[in-house]
Amino acid sequence: MNKDKFSVFDGLWKDNTILSALMVISPVIVCGNTLRNALAIIYAFSAITLFSVVIASFVPKNLPYTIRTIINAAIASLVYIPVKHMAVGFFPDVIPRTGIYFPLLAVNSIIILHTESKFFKMKKPEMIGSLVFYILGFDLIMLIISVIREIFGHGTLNENVININFISGLSEPFGGFVLLGLLCGLYRKMRSGNRISGGDKNVSDN
Amino acid sequence: MFLITELIAFLCGNLILNQALGISTMFTAAKDRKNLIGTAAVITIFTTFASAFACFIDLIFPQTDIRLLLYVVAVGIIYIGLLFGLKKFSGKNFVKYRKYIHISAFNCAVMGTVFTIGGTAENAGFFRYISAGIEAGAGFVLASLILTAAYKRLDSEKVPPSFRGFPAMLVYLGIISMALYALK
Repeated sequence: MNKDKFSVFDGLWKDNTILSALMVISPVIVCGNTLRNALAIIYAFSAITLFSVVIASFVPKNLPYTIRTIINAAIASLVYIPVKHMAVGFFPDVIPRTGIYFPLLAVNSIIILHTESKFFKMKKPEMIGSLVFYILGFDLIMLIISVIREIFGHGTLNENVININFISGLSEPFGGFVLLGLLCGLYRKMRSGNRISGGDKNVSDN
Repeated sequence: MFLITELIAFLCGNLILNQALGISTMFTAAKDRKNLIGTAAVITIFTTFASAFACFIDLIFPQTDIRLLLYVVAVGIIYIGLLFGLKKFSGKNFVKYRKYIHISAFNCAVMGTVFTIGGTAENAGFFRYISAGIEAGAGFVLASLILTAAYKRLDSEKVPPSFRGFPAMLVYLGIISMALYALK
């Protein structure tokens, strides 16, 4: 990816947060099993990540990397508080179901790692544009995986029953692992799989 | 028989295989033994000390949204402390080993452990928090060993290029996770 020309749209497909970099996959595997869950996670992830990265971009660059990382995480933890309060109003039944994964969105890899290694090296308008497409890339894949898992794992869509033979295991975390693995393979195939072997270079740390 | 039951209980409580926490760090750790030892040791230190801090945080601020910020501050203190400790004791090797601290600090495995313990060990006492932190670290080691055992095969020429590496590993972890689900 690094050899290719950079584009603010990269995060949507070419450098997708979930399928390419395997970042923020825990909530996808565990909570991404119904459309309602997915919408709550998408809302929280998008709001926390966008506001946190934009606010963190004002942190002085002359501070040591470790201190900046801690400040970025602290900013995200503060942004999390109003986001959660609003989420309780929008998705009252979903928030208890998402459990620990809701607060964990505040310490996601985009905020902790990508800010310093990628976003803060850009000019502000370019950074915001790129960030929006990284967020949209996550949102899109989260939505696709959740819809597939709800239809084929629960036999419902947005909690409306669909007359379909379903595989209950698909809605469990192990079903999430397997489906995500298959979608990653499909994504690589679509991006000319032979070019990408191993793909370990893009691994995130979170 | 008792040991087998304990082992099954330990596996079933594994945060990585059951809750998908810290997966990508585990992929990094499973690449070779050196990485595995370094990452697992640092993750265990983080989960143990962070759990100790969490005990006091949960005691003073039970079930409040500000806990996340306090957990972040606690992990931040451990992060800085570990870097200072490493610099003091490792000398020239500081640059070589500090990556393990950087990749572990705000990792989902660490933050997820603190939240999970907070949900299950409240009012259980300081030592329950500490033991839960050590268990989480040991769980990371175990899950990494399970992945290391298959890493070379899943990343070999025999696997189709599109599925080589991470996609195959995710499917493999899914199968292990399914086996644990059946054991529960």
